[in-house]
Amino acid sequence: MRAALLSREVSSGLRRNITMTVAMVLTTAVSLLSVGAGLLIVRTIDDIGALYTDRLEIQVALTQDTSSNDPDCTGPICFRLRNVLESTPGVGEVRFESQQEAYTRFKELFAGQSVADVARPQSLPSTLRVQLTDQAAGPDAVRAAVANQVGVREIIDQRDVVAKLFDFLGGVRNVAFALALVQAVAAVLLISNTVQVSAFTRRTEVGVMRLVGATRWTTQLPFLVEATVAGLIGGALAGVGLLAGKFLVVDDLLGAIAQSNVIPPVQLTDVLLTSALLVPVGGVVAGLTGYVTLRLYVKV
Amino acid sequence: MIELRDVTKLYPASSRPALDKVTATVDDGEFVFLIGPSGSGKSTLLRLLLREDRPTGGTISVGGMALAGLPRRKVPKLRQRIGCVFQDFRLLANRSVAGNVAFALEVLGKRPAEIRRDVPELLALVGLEGKAERMPHELSGGEQQRVAIARASVNRPPLLLADEPTGNLDPETSRGIMALLERINRGGTTVVMATHDDTIVDAMRRRVIELHDGTVARDEARAVYGAGR
Ligand SMILES: Nc1ncnc2c1ncn2[C@@H]1O[C@H](COP(=O)(O)OP(=O)(O)OP(=O)(O)O)[C@@H](O)[C@H]1O
Ligand SMILES: [Mg+2]
Repeated sequence: MRAALLSREVSSGLRRNITMTVAMVLTTAVSLLSVGAGLLIVRTIDDIGALYTDRLEIQVALTQDTSSNDPDCTGPICFRLRNVLESTPGVGEVRFESQQEAYTRFKELFAGQSVADVARPQSLPSTLRVQLTDQAAGPDAVRAAVANQVGVREIIDQRDVVAKLFDFLGGVRNVAFALALVQAVAAVLLISNTVQVSAFTRRTEVGVMRLVGATRWTTQLPFLVEATVAGLIGGALAGVGLLAGKFLVVDDLLGAIAQSNVIPPVQLTDVLLTSALLVPVGGVVAGLTGYVTLRLYVKV
Repeated sequence: MIELRDVTKLYPASSRPALDKVTATVDDGEFVFLIGPSGSGKSTLLRLLLREDRPTGGTISVGGMALAGLPRRKVPKLRQRIGCVFQDFRLLANRSVAGNVAFALEVLGKRPAEIRRDVPELLALVGLEGKAERMPHELSGGEQQRVAIARASVNRPPLLLADEPTGNLDPETSRGIMALLERINRGGTTVVMATHDDTIVDAMRRRVIELHDGTVARDEARAVYGAGR
């Protein structure tokens, strides 16, 4: 099929169904935007995970007695525990936090709230804060080493606390993906419908092509190119939307938090990469949808 | 040119076959009228010849191609050997006379130079020399059918199928179209024309195949439409 004929057929097809074409482009754009945002959310959540696991510690809280009687961990019980911990494989630095230090931190943490006034140093345990060099095996090794030992009140793995947060973020991610999926289904159906309408409005042309013996390829190509072009435009719009979202929303809202390293920033390269990916994805998905539609529903 | 053997067509929705064991042979260069009451299976037969549809039973061959085993990618080849016109012309309303003929050449992948050469030739063949730039709605029915015939001739097909080509035309215009078809036939093209028009059939005195409820009721050379009319 000659390029001139193809481009004329495609552009007339897109213009003839302009409202459908616009709907198809927008739906494709929105669903690809959701997919792209979903991917970036996953990426960010993974980054958050990496950011925090490095900072997480295991806290070995000491009993009331030991906490009160041994403010600098030189007594036999605390000293022994500290030695045991330090010689446990997978453990890095072990830091002692006395009741007084815990109290200071507590006051800072709850400054201005009534609990801060009520708390007294004696009511807080002193802790041995264990940093891990081996994130995988470390926690169990620590537990095995000091669980039920004299002077140990409780072993708190910060990971367990954070795990709940990650579960929540994982849920958010799944919801984002489910929505993107629903959007994608809607987009695919709309593309399919648009191709059918397009084939119907051009049934005379298609009939002529068939009758004079044009190849199936010649007959189908304008529709496929139409769908693909709409998909590419949709993908490009989605990409632009993602970039706009980064600059106008994410950077504005989360910029300060990201700066203080509470959550990792959304990297521009990731956004650019995702945006660039959405364009071919839009084109390919739309083209395939068109192809399958023509095979199944349209006699061409 | 055409060989039909025990051709049967049963549409899924109906109990009575549209064609029932039809056997017939059409030689190269023949002119054949296909007649019969409404619903007797004329259009169905033409559709089977074009491989628009497949028979439920029997075998068909057109121009030496057996349709039964014909793979889908060869169907365009078959259709390039068959020209086809209908009662309703099927012209593209947004293209001129020349544009309609050129479109058929374009979709066949012909080069622009070829198209510029062929379009005037084809329009001359059907007697529309001066009307190349007219739009279909600016033409009479007869002229529109001439455009359709020109378009059906882009491949110089050895077989022309016409399904009631004069069905929408007055007797005078119909005669003109028949003269054109006859001229095309004299050029060597086999013509099969389904029609209800007894005047034309009686005037032309060509072979008549008459269908009745999907069966061949009569197959007669140099025949008339029939005493029943
Ligand atoms: N697509 C179809 N599905 C089901 N039945 C069909 C279909 N096309 C035709 N038929 C039936 O097949 C029979 C033959 O129809 P066909 O159109 O071949 O008749 P015809 O001789 O061309 O009639 P007419 O002179 O009115 O054009 C009719 O009974 C018709 O109802
Ligand atoms: Mg008919």
